[in-house]
Amino acid sequence: MTTTRGSRLTLRVIALAYVLGLLALPILVILYRTFEPGLDTFMDSIRTPAAIAALNLSLTIVAIVVPLNVVFGVVTAIALVRWRVPGRGLIQAVVDLPFAVSPIVVGVSLIMLWGASGWFGGLEGSTGVKVIFGLPGMVLATLFVTLPFVVREVEPVLHEIGTEQEQAASTLGASGWQTFWRITIPAIRWGLTYGVVLTVARALGEFGAVIMVSSGFPGVSQTLTLLVHSRYIDDHNTYGAYAAATVLMGLAVATLLLMTLLDRKRSTR
Amino acid sequence: MITVSNARKNYGDFVALDDVGLEIPSGSLTALLGPSGSGKSTLLRAIAGLEGLDSGVVSIGGVDVTREPPQKRGIGFVFQHYAAFKHMTVRDNVAFGLTIRKRPKAEVRRKVDELLEIVGLDGFQHRYPAQLSGGQRQRMALARALAVDPQVLLLDEPFGALDAKVRADLRHWLRRLHDEVHVTTVLVTHDQEEALDVADRIAVLNKGRIEQVGDPVSLYERPANEFVMSFLGSVARLGGQLVRPHDIVLDRDRVAALAVDARVAGSPGVVGAVVERVVRLGFEVRVELRADSGERFAAQVTRAEADRLHFEPGETVFARAVRPADATDAEPALAI
Repeated sequence: MTTTRGSRLTLRVIALAYVLGLLALPILVILYRTFEPGLDTFMDSIRTPAAIAALNLSLTIVAIVVPLNVVFGVVTAIALVRWRVPGRGLIQAVVDLPFAVSPIVVGVSLIMLWGASGWFGGLEGSTGVKVIFGLPGMVLATLFVTLPFVVREVEPVLHEIGTEQEQAASTLGASGWQTFWRITIPAIRWGLTYGVVLTVARALGEFGAVIMVSSGFPGVSQTLTLLVHSRYIDDHNTYGAYAAATVLMGLAVATLLLMTLLDRKRSTR
Repeated sequence: MITVSNARKNYGDFVALDDVGLEIPSGSLTALLGPSGSGKSTLLRAIAGLEGLDSGVVSIGGVDVTREPPQKRGIGFVFQHYAAFKHMTVRDNVAFGLTIRKRPKAEVRRKVDELLEIVGLDGFQHRYPAQLSGGQRQRMALARALAVDPQVLLLDEPFGALDAKVRADLRHWLRRLHDEVHVTTVLVTHDQEEALDVADRIAVLNKGRIEQVGDPVSLYERPANEFVMSFLGSVARLGGQLVRPHDIVLDRDRVAALAVDARVAGSPGVVGAVVERVVRLGFEVRVELRADSGERFAAQVTRAEADRLHFEPGETVFARAVRPADATDAEPALAI
């Protein structure tokens, strides 16, 4: 296709304006509003007990969810690509379910399952473990919505690398476990990294599913994302919401940078 | 010595190996030759343990390894598409088998450097496979397979993904390497020229069965059947018989055609034919002809002969097979 100079320029301007208007501008507004009153105001706002508790809770959820999803995601991806599992099509569909189901629905269904009058509601009475309105519920909700990321990022890489390298390793004497750690994992590490970054970002930012199963008490059961919401809506603390949102963004960027650095270090070893 | 007996393997309805028996002597370089789908790769992978057999026995060095995994068979395997470990340097690739065996670092280093020198990759230790050419990658894969001192070296179409020039170089190089290292080697190929060039024994496979086993010369000279004959080199059909194109003499004169090489027995007589096309292939000249019976065939003559006779398309000549392939005096296919 040939395009004139003029139309090419127009297309570029439109594309750029689209990206800037929809993505960059909102972020820039938040950053501007956050740091406009100065760094001290910002630090004060994110050092309140509620903010620190929210940060801790968010990081705790990430720390539980990411390892579980890495293990589950890699195993599922390998099963889907390499093993002739019966009902593969069904598993494929189930893995994509979180993409299709609205997070609010996830929250509601978790309450129906684990809530006081739900199927597994007896658990709280017998063991004292509070699932809904407690940390387990928030972890379950986050696990649900982040489930596809690692699987979907690792799967195509596994397809692409094929099985020859693994077979070569086995002819050289490597056991299945050695082959997995020395050949398979390094080969899929980019897909895995990206899956982890997406999982962290989603786990930090999940709102709909988590708000349904959280009691929402500041300093107790508020994640950082819930804190942004409650500061803005309930406390009319607009500035506090901006500041907390900036911390959220900072965490996401830090994750991305950390994973990239780790990978670079490993590959230039 | 590798022995395969009564090997059977089906993929659904497709019969990959149909009661195959084969003995591969120690120290030999044996080629498994056949068209695609003939079962040659399946047979090699069954020897390696990368593919299970439905029934049958594989033994290496007198030990039944049918139920052993590849790790315990004492083999080295080279894949068509190199199977290089992309995230490792050349040194780490070659060292892999030794690292797995937890050999001392100094020993690994010495052995890897020695092997890289043998395969001509000295100085490439710190490169990654992506920085090597196809031929270099395959030599690295060979060094990697040899590093663990395998009892047998198995190569699955090792030069199949390389271009013609590199291919020829590498197979001469492999032959010289084999003469130095003497490890029992099995090479799968669909290229008859490669098999004739590099192997000292050839097993011809077709449709999951072994058609004939022997040294290259006897297979070429005394093929057991039409399949082996037509697979090992080109053939022409002249007067109802299969003939090698270079075993056809041509002349403008019927009497002269009869007189050429009259010592050789088995002459089917002289056939009249019309020249359709003359193709010069360097030293050789291929003359494409149509016999009076309507059958098309090609004869291969030297350039000197072609210059002397000076054929032109449309001319009538006389052809005679000086040495028709005679399946009756060939050794029967060796089914061990």
